Amino acid sequence: MTPAGPFVVAARVSLVLAVALVLQLSVAARLELFGVQGDLMLLVAVMAGLAAGPDRGASVGFAAGIAFDLLLQSPFGLSALTYVIVAYVIGSLQDTVLRAAWWIPVVTAVIGSTVGVILYGVFGTIVGQDLLHPSLLKVAVVVAVLNALAAPLVLRVVRWATDTAGSVRARAIMR
Amino acid sequence: MALSRRTGRSRLTIALLILTSITVLTLDFRDSAVVSGAREVAATVFSPLRGVAETVTDPFANAWNGVTEYDDLEAENERLRAELDEIEGERVRDADAAEQLEVLLEQLEIEWVGDIPTATARVIAGPGSNFSRAIEIDKGTDHGLKEGMPVITGAGLVGKLVQVTAERSHVMLITDPDFAVGVRLVESGVTGTAEGTGEGEPLIVDTGLEQGSEVEEGAALTTSGSDRSAFPGFIPVGRVTGTQPGSGGLTVDLVVEPLAETSKLAFVTILLWEPGG
Repeated sequence: MTPAGPFVVAARVSLVLAVALVLQLSVAARLELFGVQGDLMLLVAVMAGLAAGPDRGASVGFAAGIAFDLLLQSPFGLSALTYVIVAYVIGSLQDTVLRAAWWIPVVTAVIGSTVGVILYGVFGTIVGQDLLHPSLLKVAVVVAVLNALAAPLVLRVVRWATDTAGSVRARAIMR
Repeated sequence: MALSRRTGRSRLTIALLILTSITVLTLDFRDSAVVSGAREVAATVFSPLRGVAETVTDPFANAWNGVTEYDDLEAENERLRAELDEIEGERVRDADAAEQLEVLLEQLEIEWVGDIPTATARVIAGPGSNFSRAIEIDKGTDHGLKEGMPVITGAGLVGKLVQVTAERSHVMLITDPDFAVGVRLVESGVTGTAEGTGEGEPLIVDTGLEQGSEVEEGAALTTSGSDRSAFPGFIPVGRVTGTQPGSGGLTVDLVVEPLAETSKLAFVTILLWEPGG
């Protein structure tokens, strides 16, 4: 299979982000568990790190964050900053994981989502949002659980978008 | 060699992306027109898509909420029935008081909230993330709405309009840490500024009352409606639930529970009122 060109990848990623954004705002926002909603955009960033490595992962994370920030009333750029870092870290760790197994995306989603929510809380507090309440932990736990459930599906979609579905690692994970 | 070049490149990418994020954050802090313009475009483009997606997924969302919130709903239903009975009695007394107040205010030439034209809007989306507190409603400039207009429910002040497009608007809730409103204690007439401290948290009112002042628990507060206030007067805001030392330790701050329930709004009323208007 010939690899997709950079424009094709960019177009696919844009499409996936647009669909994820609509799903986040209209579906995830209403499927609350204990008053907390899943964070699909964060999950896309985490899965992009896992699928495409630190470089592309961080870029996808940035795009996901900026798109999300555009439609929220929260500080513009806060999600982007958080997602870039989370995707980069997950991408870097991915290089060091040797075993490939079905549970890797799920565990990655749990770790990435928890770190992402807490990081957002810390950065948000730095820019004056006052988010460091005990309830932040509840948000982190519920987001981790909801995101873990959606992780395998989202990983497949992100792999298709970033054109990493054919790589050796991907085949190992998807087996 | 190849590995170190790759690491170097990805360090450069991450550095650039982080810098860009921080740059846009500072732009937003200065209330840049570019950011608010981009947000308006994004909101206009995504609104219809959201609308379609919501209509399609409505049955699933309702089923999910029915399963996860059934017990809460049952308890809430019972509580609401009891409250309704109580309110029925109060309503009769209030109607009489309101009439007397209106007559008095007319004599003093003060605008009465009941006379301000209103628009009713449906809440179409709660906060889009766990950290965004703004809600979205289905009316906009096409219906005469403008930025800054007060948003209320039957219970009291809910927030104000912050981003208004042709057919949709965002409401900053009273519990948002960026929200501030001039308030007055109904009985003593003491004024102060109420500020939000987050969803589910009480408002804090900075009064200038000296340390040791007694403020009755349960005392009601309304908007002060002073000359340059962003809100008309006499909109119910909340009840005092306690006091705490103010900043500097010389004054007391009031801890206030908002009257309007902001977490589950279905319909809101917008007062078509502008400062000085």
